Amino acid sequence: MDLEQLRKIAAEVVAREDVNYLIGWKQGTYGYRVAPVFIEDPADASELIFSPLCTANLATYLTLVEKPPLPRGQEPDTRKVALMVKGCDSRAVAQLLVEKGINREGVVIIGCPCPGMVDHSLLAEKYPETEDLAEIKWDGEGFLLLRDGEEVKLDRYEVLAEKCRLCRYPNPLVSDILLGEEVEPWEPEEDSGVTEIEDKDIEGRWAYWEEQFANCVRCYSCRNVCPLCYCEDCILDRLNPDWINRSVNFSENTAFHIARAFHLAGRCSECGECERVCPANIPLGRLNRKLAREVRDKYGFEPGLDPEAEPFQASYKPDDPEDFIL
Amino acid sequence: MSDNFNPNIVAFLCNWCSYAGADLAGTSRVQYPANVQIIRVMCSGRVNPLYVMNALQQGADGVLVSGCHPGDCHYMEGNYYARRRLGMLKDLMEFIGVDPRRFNMSWVSASEGHKWKEVVEKSVEDAREAGPFEGFRRRQIDW
Repeated sequence: MDLEQLRKIAAEVVAREDVNYLIGWKQGTYGYRVAPVFIEDPADASELIFSPLCTANLATYLTLVEKPPLPRGQEPDTRKVALMVKGCDSRAVAQLLVEKGINREGVVIIGCPCPGMVDHSLLAEKYPETEDLAEIKWDGEGFLLLRDGEEVKLDRYEVLAEKCRLCRYPNPLVSDILLGEEVEPWEPEEDSGVTEIEDKDIEGRWAYWEEQFANCVRCYSCRNVCPLCYCEDCILDRLNPDWINRSVNFSENTAFHIARAFHLAGRCSECGECERVCPANIPLGRLNRKLAREVRDKYGFEPGLDPEAEPFQASYKPDDPEDFIL
Repeated sequence: MSDNFNPNIVAFLCNWCSYAGADLAGTSRVQYPANVQIIRVMCSGRVNPLYVMNALQQGADGVLVSGCHPGDCHYMEGNYYARRRLGMLKDLMEFIGVDPRRFNMSWVSASEGHKWKEVVEKSVEDAREAGPFEGFRRRQIDW
């Protein structure tokens, strides 16, 4: 994508009367870091980037905004928020629209067709992060890494993020402004992570997850980063009823992960953020993708494709499968 | 598992059909296993999936959810929502490694006292085969 064009369009959008600020990505401070940026002044639009390291799903910030009570006589700011989205992020936005978590009039969606993102940890494993900023670009099929003044060509599947290997919607599904050309969707890989667990027997699965959940420190990063976990009154924070105890042990961790995955059933846009931010490297994406697979295969439903659709768990079909009922 | 094991089963029954069905089984003197603890809810659609998990955490070896037959719900559509949600919960629990036999769902109407008996017998048998569910128990702290 042409960065000049991106910055020019972003500056135009921010300069609009009815736009408050724009959420995008900017270069981080060292190594491969990329940080989210909130742009209110058109002059700052030159900070914006869109590179294979822009993994973060910025749709989270739409619902994270704090809305403190206003002083008397002050009107709430009803200006729009502009947001840069990739294909998977746009599904999260569409799902937010389905749930009426945000107003369509309240957002300007700037779609960035995404040729695939780099997995930060895979990249840092092969080419350790340095103090200096490194740059990475799409280069034909693969990636081009500019680091310490040298250019390294990277094979696409060497560093491609898992969510991108499985991606079916690289182009934004909802957008007001589309930057650059749409990319050709690639053939998604078989979801080996989910299949690997499905192939185990019941005890094997329990043992697998026991090992994973035992690492969980209950930092709730997965909840906080998720664009679709935005309940003002979350069951995890609620004291009465105390659904899930705060203590960090296997039983509560398992209950927490079942509840978290279940609350995303038929809603998850598979942006993979929960897995990326997890400090214990728990493969949370597998739980989400398993449910997404069930929802797709059994109920013929895919979240985030149509902003006008009915929410999955708040709708039903008379002929839903009921083979599990006695 | 040994036949001596007596599983605890928590049953969530809807007020309008299944609870009345279980009541009918009682008044008709139908003999069925005494392993079920019945909790009456207003509708099977009221059963939050967290109820199921909490029951398992707090000592149940199996959970049974029962409601009106599709189309007969007192609230028109509550059992359809329940079917969708709990069906997915069952898939998820199976994926995590909870024996699917620990969770059953059934439709029992107010006139089906005998079906209630069969459902209970099946759930008890299932939970007995699956064995005690110790791995998921909530840690009890005795101060």
